[in-house]
Amino acid sequence: MNVERRKVAIFGAAAAVRFLLFTCFPGLPDLLTGRVEISTPVTSFKRLQEGLFLYNHNVSPYDGGVYHQAPILLPLFALLPSSQSWPSMTYLLYILVDILSANALMKIAKSGEGGSSSLYCSPRMGKKWSGYAIAAAFLFNPFTIATCIGRPTSVFTTCAILHAISKAVVGSSFTSMFALSIASYLSMYPVLLFPPLILLCYDRRGPKQQNDSLLSFVSGNVMGVGGFLYSLFHMSYIITGSWEFIESTYGVQLLLPDLTPNVGLWWYFFIEMFDSFRNFFLGVFWLHLSSYVAGLTIRLRRQPLFVIITLLGIFAIFKPYPSISDTSLYLAMLPLYRHVFPLMRYTFLALSTILYATLLGPAFYYLWIYAGSGNANFFYAITLVWSLGLSILVADALFAVLRDEWEVERPEMRGKEIRQI
Amino acid sequence: MWGNKALVAMRLILSLLLLLSAAIPHATASSDYHEQLNLRSLHPSLLLASFNFQSNTSLTSFEQQNFRYFPRSLGQILQHANTRELHLRFSLGRWDAESWGARPWGGAREGGTGVELWAWVEAESDEEADGRWLTLTNALSGLFCASLNFIDSTRTIRPVMSFEPAGNHSSSTLDNLHLLHGTLPREVVCTENLTPFLKLLPCKGKAGISSLLDGHKLFDASWQSMSIDVKPICEPGSSDCQLQITQTIDMVLDLQRSKRPRDNPIPRPVSYEELRCDLSKDYHSHDTCFPLDAAAQEEEWILSHIFGHPLKGTCPLADDGIDPVCINVPHARHVYASEGAHEHKDESGYKRCFALSPDKDFEIILPQQEISEKSPLEQPLLYAERSFIGYGQESGGVQAILTNPSSTNAIEFVYLETLPWFMKLYLHTLKAKINGVEEDIIKEMYYRPALDRKRGTQLEIRILIPANSTVVLTYDFEKAILRYTEYPPDANRGFDIAPAVITIGDIAIRTTSLLLPLPTPDFSMPYNVIILTSTVMALSFGFIYNLLIRRFVAIDEADQWDVRAVRLKVLAVAQKFMSRFLEKRSKDGKDD
Repeated sequence: MNVERRKVAIFGAAAAVRFLLFTCFPGLPDLLTGRVEISTPVTSFKRLQEGLFLYNHNVSPYDGGVYHQAPILLPLFALLPSSQSWPSMTYLLYILVDILSANALMKIAKSGEGGSSSLYCSPRMGKKWSGYAIAAAFLFNPFTIATCIGRPTSVFTTCAILHAISKAVVGSSFTSMFALSIASYLSMYPVLLFPPLILLCYDRRGPKQQNDSLLSFVSGNVMGVGGFLYSLFHMSYIITGSWEFIESTYGVQLLLPDLTPNVGLWWYFFIEMFDSFRNFFLGVFWLHLSSYVAGLTIRLRRQPLFVIITLLGIFAIFKPYPSISDTSLYLAMLPLYRHVFPLMRYTFLALSTILYATLLGPAFYYLWIYAGSGNANFFYAITLVWSLGLSILVADALFAVLRDEWEVERPEMRGKEIRQI
Repeated sequence: MWGNKALVAMRLILSLLLLLSAAIPHATASSDYHEQLNLRSLHPSLLLASFNFQSNTSLTSFEQQNFRYFPRSLGQILQHANTRELHLRFSLGRWDAESWGARPWGGAREGGTGVELWAWVEAESDEEADGRWLTLTNALSGLFCASLNFIDSTRTIRPVMSFEPAGNHSSSTLDNLHLLHGTLPREVVCTENLTPFLKLLPCKGKAGISSLLDGHKLFDASWQSMSIDVKPICEPGSSDCQLQITQTIDMVLDLQRSKRPRDNPIPRPVSYEELRCDLSKDYHSHDTCFPLDAAAQEEEWILSHIFGHPLKGTCPLADDGIDPVCINVPHARHVYASEGAHEHKDESGYKRCFALSPDKDFEIILPQQEISEKSPLEQPLLYAERSFIGYGQESGGVQAILTNPSSTNAIEFVYLETLPWFMKLYLHTLKAKINGVEEDIIKEMYYRPALDRKRGTQLEIRILIPANSTVVLTYDFEKAILRYTEYPPDANRGFDIAPAVITIGDIAIRTTSLLLPLPTPDFSMPYNVIILTSTVMALSFGFIYNLLIRRFVAIDEADQWDVRAVRLKVLAVAQKFMSRFLEKRSKDGKDD
């Protein structure tokens, strides 16, 4: 009972904070919706409103350059009362999604997958945070709160990814694959999480599937994901009446026609890129993004959850339209590996770089766009610093986990200086 | 061989000429040409000059390539591109409806700033119509020395509610007609567009009212508009159709400015003797002058000073007996015309026309005169203005203010907006307010959203505006950021947004064009950006790749890389090299 009360207290406090922000500062939601750090062309709430308006007036939202989000969001939001006349319904939906995400995160923490997976048990596993602390760290992270108030649709992807993981750690691969399909359907890039996620499911599979070989297990689930995606696509086809949504949602992520600034590295690179090399570098960037999957999955075979976390961190830096919502997901997952924190070497550097970029980013954007006293390079430089800070954090956490694994092999090396050869 | 061919061609031409001359007496009956210049003074020192040139040709002779008064160059383009009706406009400046009243021709011959073209093209399918439109724009581009070939798919729309065919088309062709509309708001209309325009006239600017037209004066005007309209006119109930081409030029000249001599065009301070001061002011003295209010005084002007040269007789082809020059001033105003011209005064009391002597120069002189009577200004149907709202280079809004000045009549109109793709319109923010109250006054709407780099936005709204009311339309948009090669050389000047077209029945009035500043990247550093971004990516890839493929060892197990080890290694390499070198030298010595 006490446990339930703590959970309710955390969720209630998080919901209250968000609701207060929504209601006490009526201008805040629209202000944050307009921020490029929160809303990207593929997640913006304002663009969703436009798509919804066109959808309600029988104009195909995909026959235009504004709406690039998944078709299923249209009937979903059409069912809600209009966000202009009844904004509180939309607020409640976004608060609910955040709490569902936190709940899933809590389940992952409770499973103890972070400290001891089925193939590996960390010597430091005792040192961990409770699920409540982890959920609170997610819910009260300013990035998460800002994302919730700004209402981008990336929160649905976040929720789906967290649910996919929370189902995988209890071994229900079917539900997990379903959640992963929804996440991939909403934003495409989560499909890259399939290899580590399927290994996580395999490691935690139930007694019924105990005799399945890895190959048959994987192929079964590949077909499952394929089936889910196909049915989602077909449903979208029925909703919109044509297949043009594929080009307008996934095509935009692949080919980057919309160069609106964001916290990532792609937009300025492709503004300045020479026309003849644009397609080549689009290929290189996507290849770079997906190249991490195989390497990390193989090297960290014993800790697939950490592969997922690291990949989420990498996506938050290198995907075409990243936002602080992706960063907040990575920062929410990282405390699951609380026990390796003492092994990290550059936490201070990484965190202060991220803090520096967080504070200076909006200022430099203002100087460029509104004051006119700075140019595009100001904001671009800050996105470079932000990306560098995050990648130091990701690499450092990876180092800590690898060192943790290594110390199982050589327990005598605990606390000693090491080097890589 | 060549001579032979030329001879055959000559014979052909001769026989054609013979045929033509036989056809002319017949043709004169059905084709005519007339031209007229209307002058009207506006506000204290402005003069509106409207030139109108119109010629008809029968459709049958047009189809047989017998053009007569119809310009051959344009006629062949129309035939080649299967264009049944054409409207082309070149305009500059802003018509100040508040003080100048209704537009010339009620707005029917007006275009938006820059170049505007719309045409009804006959084609079986949309693709074929697009092809013919491309042919048409490219050919017209060559003919008028304008960048009409830049009217591509992003600048072309197919209006649904705006624009009605002005000509009479048979119902069978009407089904296959495609209306296409394109604008170039950035095009600067210039002398090079006037010269081909004049060449289309039968008298080519050598005689008649067209001899007044001069690029220096026309493009120095406060507002000017050149138009070409080609449309078929059929008598109801008969199959006898005419093809009519109407060319007009309207300009609002600043009298002060036009009178400035061409050899001394720079305005200089007026010398003390020429200053016209208000002597009634008590502070007036030899070094203080309050300018005299000249509103009650009608300015003095002479036709040849205003246009740079006198009117050179009449165009002999305009033989329909219509007086070629008219001036709209009260009868009380003194107007002196040159010898040989006959003045005809209109009953309205505000208009007089002149019949010219065919081969003499014509001149009008209006002396300075104090006169309280003014010719009345016609009230426009609708006042329209449009501007940007909001600030910053990220997003903004557009506000259009439309006022119906009539105290009795409601007006229904279609508001057409053509926006470039990089101005991302949010239609859900479109709001219409009538007299400050938000009301649902939009009767009908057609919206075609923009596609990045493929087509622009097309928005048509039908609104009924009650008498004596003001409608304010607002909507939000977001500014896209472009690839750096997509910016023009003067990127920070901004991008021109085509005027909104307001169609009221068969006339169309325009707002001014707008200048949209977009956020710009730094154009000087593509290499730096490529290098810096790649560095960050390489760094993080390097971090992770290193961690994934290298082994951990304790620090004392690894090779020591201290200074001593390096020194020893370098020493060893040096010794080895030295010993080899010495060995070789001693060998060489033996050989000697």
